Amino acid sequence: MSLRRVMQAVVPPAIFGLVFVLGWEAVVKGFDLKPYFLPAPSAIWSAFTDNLDLVRSAALVSGENALVGLLVGTLLGVAASFLLMRFQILNELVSPLAIALNAVPIIVLVAVFQNMFASTSEIPRRLMVTLIVFFIVLVNVAKGLRQVHPTHLELMRSYAASPAAILTKTRIPNALPYLFTALKIAAPTAVITAFVSEYFGGRQNGLGYFIPSNFANSKNAVAWAYVIGACLLGLTFYLVSVLLESIIKQSRGAAPGGATT
Amino acid sequence: MSAVVVNNVSKVFNVDKPNQVDALAEIELVIEPGEFVSLIGPSGCGKSTLLRLIANLTEPTIGDVLVNGKSAAQARLDQDYGMAFQQAGLFDWRTVEKNIELPLELKGWDKAKRRARAHDMLELVKLPEFARHMPWQLSGGMQQRVAIARALAAHPPLLLMDEPFGALDEMTREHMQVELLQICAATDTTVVFVTHSIPEAAYLSDRVVVMSPRPGRITEIIDVDLGSSRDEDTRESDVFYDSITAIREALRGIEHAAVRGGVDDR
Repeated sequence: MSLRRVMQAVVPPAIFGLVFVLGWEAVVKGFDLKPYFLPAPSAIWSAFTDNLDLVRSAALVSGENALVGLLVGTLLGVAASFLLMRFQILNELVSPLAIALNAVPIIVLVAVFQNMFASTSEIPRRLMVTLIVFFIVLVNVAKGLRQVHPTHLELMRSYAASPAAILTKTRIPNALPYLFTALKIAAPTAVITAFVSEYFGGRQNGLGYFIPSNFANSKNAVAWAYVIGACLLGLTFYLVSVLLESIIKQSRGAAPGGATT
Repeated sequence: MSAVVVNNVSKVFNVDKPNQVDALAEIELVIEPGEFVSLIGPSGCGKSTLLRLIANLTEPTIGDVLVNGKSAAQARLDQDYGMAFQQAGLFDWRTVEKNIELPLELKGWDKAKRRARAHDMLELVKLPEFARHMPWQLSGGMQQRVAIARALAAHPPLLLMDEPFGALDEMTREHMQVELLQICAATDTTVVFVTHSIPEAAYLSDRVVVMSPRPGRITEIIDVDLGSSRDEDTRESDVFYDSITAIREALRGIEHAAVRGGVDDR
C-alpha cells in the first residue's frame, strides 16, 4: 500500500475521533455535566495516567484469561474438526449443534462454572472462553477440511494418492485460511467473554470486575480509565489476528480458497 | 499393445433405484498409442463418464477397461495417465513449479529431480519465467498450460482431458489447441479429449468419436486426416471444413433420431 493510500485510510477516522473527543469535552464543560453522569475526556485521561499500573495489571489478568482460553479452545477446536472430518456420523451429530451454539448466549454458563470451582479460581473464566472459541474454530475449520475443491480430490485420486497424502497436501492447506478467519472472529470474542466472565463473579482482579466496581463507588473517571484499558486489550487481540490472516491471504492472492466467514 | 481398450462397457448409476440412469451402453473403443481421439456429443451422452471410466475414477457396471494392457485400476495406481479438467484445479497455496511437482512428489521423487522436471515442463508449455509465481497471478490460459504441464510431468503415455479449454475465450482456445498438438507431438503422448466444440474436435483429432445420449452410445467414429503438421492455415483448409461438416452431420443424425425416438415412444 502506498503512503498516500495509508494516509487516506487513517487520516479521516483520526480527525473524526479527535473532533468527537473535543466535542465530548466541550459538551461536558459547556453544559456543566456532573462527573457521576459523564466525566470529561481530560478527567478520564488523567485518571488513566494516574492509575496506569492498576489498569495494566487488570488488563494483564483479563488478557491472560482471554489468551489461555483462545489457545486451548483453538487447539481443541482444530482437534475436534479432524474427528468430524474423519467420522461422518459425528459430523452429522455435532455440526448442527455447534452452529446452533454459536447463535446462543452460552456465556451464561459461566455462572454454572463459578459454582463448580473455588471462588479464587481463574478456571471458570478460562473454561468459558475456551468453550466459546472451541465452537467458532470447530465450525470453520471443519468446513475448510470438508469443502475441498472437487477437482482437487479427483486429481489426487488420479494420482492414486494415499488418504494421508490427501489430508496433508489437500485438506489441511485448504483449511488453513478457514482457521485464520475463525481466529479473527474468535480473538475479540475471547476478550469480551473474559470481561463478561469476570463481571459474573469470582476473583476480583480483571477489567471485567474493576469497571462496574468503580462505577458502583462513584469513581466514574477511574471506571472509564479501565474502559480505555479494555478497548486497548480488545484492539490488540483483534489486530494480531487480522495481521495473521493478512499474512496468509497475501501468500494466496486476492481470492484465497477459504475467503468465508 | 493398444493404449486404451474399452470392452463392451455399460455404466448404470443408482442401480435399481427410482433415479436409475443408464449413462453408457455397450461401448467398444480401441485407441492406439500416439492417437489423438476426441469424444463429442450432446450433454448427457456420457462422454465425461467414459473418460472417467478410462481414468478409473468410476467403475464400469458391465465390461472392462484396459489401459496400457493393464486394468484401469492398476494403470491409475501406476500413474500411467495424466489428467486435465475444465478448471485448471491448481493448488492456490503452491507456486507454479510446486503444482507441477505434485504428481512427482506423490511418486516419491527426490527434490532435485522434481525441480529439474518441473522446469523442463515449464519450458515445454512456454512459461519458464513463471516458476515462482502463484497460480492466481496467471491468466486462465496460462493456468491451463500449467495444468497440462502438471498432467504430463511424470511423462505418462496417456493424457486424459475433460473439456480443458471450455472456460477459455476463443482466441486463447485456438492458441492452446496449437500448443497442445505441439506438446503431444514432442512427448509422443496418446490423448483422449472430451469436448463440446466441433471445430476443436476436428482440428485436434485423428479420430472423432460421436456419441448419443440416453443411454450413451457410440454412433459413429469419424477419421480426420489433416496431415501431421497442423497450423493456423489448417483452419482454413477444405479438409478441415469437410471434417467439421462430417461431425456436424453425425451429431444432427443423433438429434433427428432422438426426436423420432421421442415421438415413437408416445
